[in-house]
Amino acid sequence: MKPFIRIFGYSVSHTDLTRCIIIASLTLVCILITTVSISQNLETLYAQLFYFPIVYATYFYPRKGLWLAGACAVLYEGFAYLYLFPDSGSLIYVTGQAILFICVAALVAFASEKLNTSEARSRSIVEKAQSGIILFDQNTLAIHLTNAHLEHMLGFTGEELAGMTFPQLFSSTEDQLKFFESLKSGEETRDTETIFLTRDKGPIWVNLSGSRITENLVSCTVIDINKYKLAKQAADEIDAQYKQVADNFPTCIIIIRNQMIVYTNPSFELFSNYTRKDLMGKDPISLIHPDDHEDFRNSCHLAETRSPPPGRLEVGLQIKSGKIRPATLFFTRILQGEIPAVLINLVDIPGQEGLKTQIQQDSKRQRGIISTFAYELRTPLQPIMGYINLLTQDPDKYGVTEETKIILDRCAKSVDRERQIINQMLELSVIDAGKIPLEYSIFPVLDLITSIIDAGGYRKTADITIDIPNYLTFDADKNKISTVIDTMISNAVNYSTHPRKIRIAYISSPNDSMDRLSIKDNGIGITDSRLDEIFDPFPVSDSGERKQKYERIGLSLAIAKKYIKMHEGYISVDSIMNLETTFIIHIPKKRPEEPEHNVT
Amino acid sequence: MIVEDDQPILDLMDLMIRKLGYEPVLIANGLEALELIQKEPPALILLDIMMVPINGWEFLEKLRGDYGVREMPVILFTASPLVDEKMKQLKDPYLSVLTKPVSFNELKAGIARYLG
Repeated sequence: MKPFIRIFGYSVSHTDLTRCIIIASLTLVCILITTVSISQNLETLYAQLFYFPIVYATYFYPRKGLWLAGACAVLYEGFAYLYLFPDSGSLIYVTGQAILFICVAALVAFASEKLNTSEARSRSIVEKAQSGIILFDQNTLAIHLTNAHLEHMLGFTGEELAGMTFPQLFSSTEDQLKFFESLKSGEETRDTETIFLTRDKGPIWVNLSGSRITENLVSCTVIDINKYKLAKQAADEIDAQYKQVADNFPTCIIIIRNQMIVYTNPSFELFSNYTRKDLMGKDPISLIHPDDHEDFRNSCHLAETRSPPPGRLEVGLQIKSGKIRPATLFFTRILQGEIPAVLINLVDIPGQEGLKTQIQQDSKRQRGIISTFAYELRTPLQPIMGYINLLTQDPDKYGVTEETKIILDRCAKSVDRERQIINQMLELSVIDAGKIPLEYSIFPVLDLITSIIDAGGYRKTADITIDIPNYLTFDADKNKISTVIDTMISNAVNYSTHPRKIRIAYISSPNDSMDRLSIKDNGIGITDSRLDEIFDPFPVSDSGERKQKYERIGLSLAIAKKYIKMHEGYISVDSIMNLETTFIIHIPKKRPEEPEHNVT
Repeated sequence: MIVEDDQPILDLMDLMIRKLGYEPVLIANGLEALELIQKEPPALILLDIMMVPINGWEFLEKLRGDYGVREMPVILFTASPLVDEKMKQLKDPYLSVLTKPVSFNELKAGIARYLG
């Protein structure tokens, strides 16, 4: 509907037009009556008649009304002058009347202006409010006023709403009754969340706050909380899903909010023997051993306020039976809805200890396997070796001829080799099982090498030069280093060619962090492809070449490598085919695990 | 004295010890051996570890503890590679190890340490 019509190029609203017609007709009637009265010599001017158009006009249009009052005054004065002249007494009366017109008009204009401003102000507040506003009658429940926001929110026009009653907006009578119930009990009611119906009968979540502004009129603020409600609903769904996950978690989960347990999963209930009912709303501190109270509070506080949250915390946890169970707690900050909460993940320490026991048992089992193998492999060799020894020791007693003795010696050699291999295999498995500790000591290197060479009788077959300073000491496990050096020298002697020349040298400098010992022979050399393989106790492919040339190496290099590795060192090898091979043992000058040790 | 429950080994040791010039007492049961030691203390004990009813370690514990025989040399005669650790713990100056199989010369040297 168009609120304006155009007259002579001016836009005029319907109300304005109606008012203008009323004012104009009133004025005309006044003039007519006055004219008739004067022309009939009734000697009464009915000045009061003019107040009708003047008051009416000034009330609605204060300024224009004043002009009208002025016009009326002049008109009235003019008529009076025309008919009453020269009666000066009457003229003074008439002039007074005319001035009174203007005064009354001014008074009305002032009052009207005042009234209109305050109404305009309230109106603008209502119109421009960011929430919906409804004014309705408490008795008839008819809607008196609504604003644009509400109209937009619900999709109705102002006219449609004006023809409705307030309860028609509600989707359910239940909420409607609740709202009126609370409104009756007091002057105002706040934050009633309910569902309104829009024009196309769609539900919309709103927050209502009502207050009585006059005896009958109630003003009600309507806030659209539909989006918020839907978001919250979604969040609750997520929460529910999350709970479903946590419920099926094998580890214990507790959620704490405002120092209250708000959630526990079945794992925790199993762990603590409490039911969920027991735990809900409980202060978690009551479950913690008193000695751990402070740590627990601190961790909770940190988790709530800071990110990243604190690390693990080990506490004693009191279970239903009163027993204290050790547990490791991990804290995580989460948001439950919009409220910060702390999620605690609990790991059962006895559970972990169970794993430790399992590992210990496995280790024990491994020991058992090694012992059994050793027993089964070594024990049968004892009689063979012993009897052969006895036979060769006492050939006459047992009737052993020279020829038989040679055979027996070969047998003895074979048995000895088998013994060596078995010993090495067992040594390797013991190293792998981590059963061999290092026994560090500081020992002179030259003495050690000399004694190894003497014990092995290596000088008988090879020319050995030693280039090692007298004062040099190693800080290592003497027995193991001795085994390694013995292996190296033995290999050098075995695989060098006549005339055998072996050179043992210390090749480290004072600034070097490693002690380096090189053992060089003039042997057959090792092909590059074999360099790694010689340290491998069980190579993937066992080529004929290896069998032929290196069969005597056995497992000794593998053991040597492991011994040096235990010292956190390594063995390197460099070879030129048919010329020389150099093995270098590298071990740290300083003991790896113990930074402090006494150098004596 | 040889305490060992494996008969083939016992037979061999009998010959070897005799060859070394000693008179061995052979016994397969640790408990009986302990009783015997009370009556006729030997010069040295060659002790197997894997035995029933008491094993070598238990035998040693009783010998050194309950029976108070602290200075009698004992040579553990074992096939196990895992005795080092235990040996270290005991710190017994009259205790040493010979690992099976042992050659005649090794046995000779081992015994000579105490009875040389």
